[in-house]
Amino acid sequence: MTQAPIEARLFGGGAPATGEDARLTLASGYLEVQSAGGRQRVPLTQVRIREVVSAHRGIEFSWDSRHGQCAVQVFDPPELRRVRTHPQLAELPQMSRLRASQRRGRIAWTLGWSLLATIVLLPLLLLLLLIWQADRIAGAIAERIPVAREQQLGRHVFAGMRSKLALKESGEDLQLVRELGARLSRGSRFQYEFHVAANPAINAFALPGGIIVVHTGLIDATRRPEELAGVLAHEIQHVEQRHSVEALLRQLGLRGIWAVASGDPGGTLAGNAALELMSRRFSREAETEADARGFDLLVREGIDPHGMVDFFGTLAAASGPAMPAWMSTHPASEARKAALQAKLGSLAQRQFAPLAPSIGIEVSAGSSPAR
Amino acid sequence: MPMDVVDYEIFGDDMQYVEIELDPGEAAIGEAGAMMMMQDGIAMDTVFGDGSAQQGGVFGKLLGAGKRLVTGESLFTTVFHNEANTRRRVAFAAPYPGKILPVHLRDVGGTLICQKDSFLCAARGVSLGIAFQRRLGVGLFGGEGFIMQRLDGDGLVFVHAGGTLMARDLAPGERLRVDTGCIVALQQNVDYDIQYVGKLKSALFSGEGLFFATLTGPGRVWLQSLPFSRMANRIIASAPAAGGRSRGEGSLLGGLGGLLDGDNA
Repeated sequence: MTQAPIEARLFGGGAPATGEDARLTLASGYLEVQSAGGRQRVPLTQVRIREVVSAHRGIEFSWDSRHGQCAVQVFDPPELRRVRTHPQLAELPQMSRLRASQRRGRIAWTLGWSLLATIVLLPLLLLLLLIWQADRIAGAIAERIPVAREQQLGRHVFAGMRSKLALKESGEDLQLVRELGARLSRGSRFQYEFHVAANPAINAFALPGGIIVVHTGLIDATRRPEELAGVLAHEIQHVEQRHSVEALLRQLGLRGIWAVASGDPGGTLAGNAALELMSRRFSREAETEADARGFDLLVREGIDPHGMVDFFGTLAAASGPAMPAWMSTHPASEARKAALQAKLGSLAQRQFAPLAPSIGIEVSAGSSPAR
Repeated sequence: MPMDVVDYEIFGDDMQYVEIELDPGEAAIGEAGAMMMMQDGIAMDTVFGDGSAQQGGVFGKLLGAGKRLVTGESLFTTVFHNEANTRRRVAFAAPYPGKILPVHLRDVGGTLICQKDSFLCAARGVSLGIAFQRRLGVGLFGGEGFIMQRLDGDGLVFVHAGGTLMARDLAPGERLRVDTGCIVALQQNVDYDIQYVGKLKSALFSGEGLFFATLTGPGRVWLQSLPFSRMANRIIASAPAAGGRSRGEGSLLGGLGGLLDGDNA
């Protein structure tokens, strides 16, 4: 079977220093080179084969002639393919050695570039790891902050906002909240303070260190003391799990990471928005955790957790259409209710005695929820 | 694509310029900013990419221009077109002291690999591309040598070298070790690798850097004696205005001598 000649370039022998175009053919154990300078026949056993690497990869056949070393090189990609698949060449030991060295070269090349890419990408990966594990890292650091320091911080914040809160100094609401709170926070390492603020919004919040404020609007919206106990259990768990300190640390850390990564300590609009969204995700996680642990706290104290679950129904009805979950600081009330209902199912019909607060009134029984 | 056959003349010794004579209808392409003068009747047109006709469509043009950006050149090339009905001349000047190297691509097998930003001008139809060296060592330690420029076609190209130009023909298997910055151009047949200097002592104290480029024949290579970066380094190092130290003739008086010599900027 005769094959069309392979286009190549001939160097050495009588050829010009910059080479001349040549055509290669292989026939019965001989390499035939046809060029402007004439025709040469070289036994294949005398031919050395190597790879030439510059901006392209080529294959060189070289041999010693009477006029010194000669070489033909093939660089054109389609011609190279023909050399590689040529049946007569494939059997040559030189060719199999070349293939082996090319394979080694490819492996080294891949390894080298992957190593380089890893070195370049390593800082980026570390940053991603830090952001991904921000929660755990912040939690670990928060554990090292003494409780007293946290309480100091809470009191400081509370002193600043106290004048705007319209706190009630006395009243049945306050007594009820204090009584339930004291029961739910028994044996805690935090010193709790419970306050009631005259405010129609359905809200309650916890400051670091154990200061919990409940709005009168929320108390009015509860139908049973168990519902109020559910809210308090939730807020107490925020304190117990030190969510505020963790959030603070995380915020500081993420801001630091952002400043290092972007080189912009001031924070751009996009950077701030991204941080805010990220902190909201953590906030939602904290809410879910406080819900679950609050639920367990109620069960431990022998308070019927149905009240807590029911209160989320009230919340959902009062808050109207929810924001998309990923933008919100709190998970949607329906989702929270559904998650707790799943926990209710696992209680297996345990009976709870109704809560009978020492204040002999039915708290807001029959009163309509605010709004 | 038929190449325009141009006549040229190189003037000057160490700060050269090349004058290209264009027949009516012929054109040359030049690196942006290299033009020195042109006669009446030559029209200048700026094209996106390298102006060779192989690039079909918008995408091809964008690709060509993007490649030029990688080699550190302008996105645009200037085409100088002779629209008069007699022969006209246009001249391109080298940007720093050195020699202009004319190469006919047909003589070197249709492709020339050259140091990026050494391209000066060419006959229309030569296509300017980019050539990544395929060896990892060259990529990591090759310095200026990793990304080079490739010139394809069969017309004349003019490449600029710093200092004195040396053309060397390598026989098959002949090996030459050079400083990576000193390579101006080479035939694509020449094998290009990087070699560690070998001895720690020379690596640290010889001042030659840690790596050599190894060029293995066959083929022709062109070397420059003075890479521009080397000269620029020396100028900056001894330019007080740029934070360097004045290392002039200096006298025993030192700084006081400087006050007296009248060379105070």
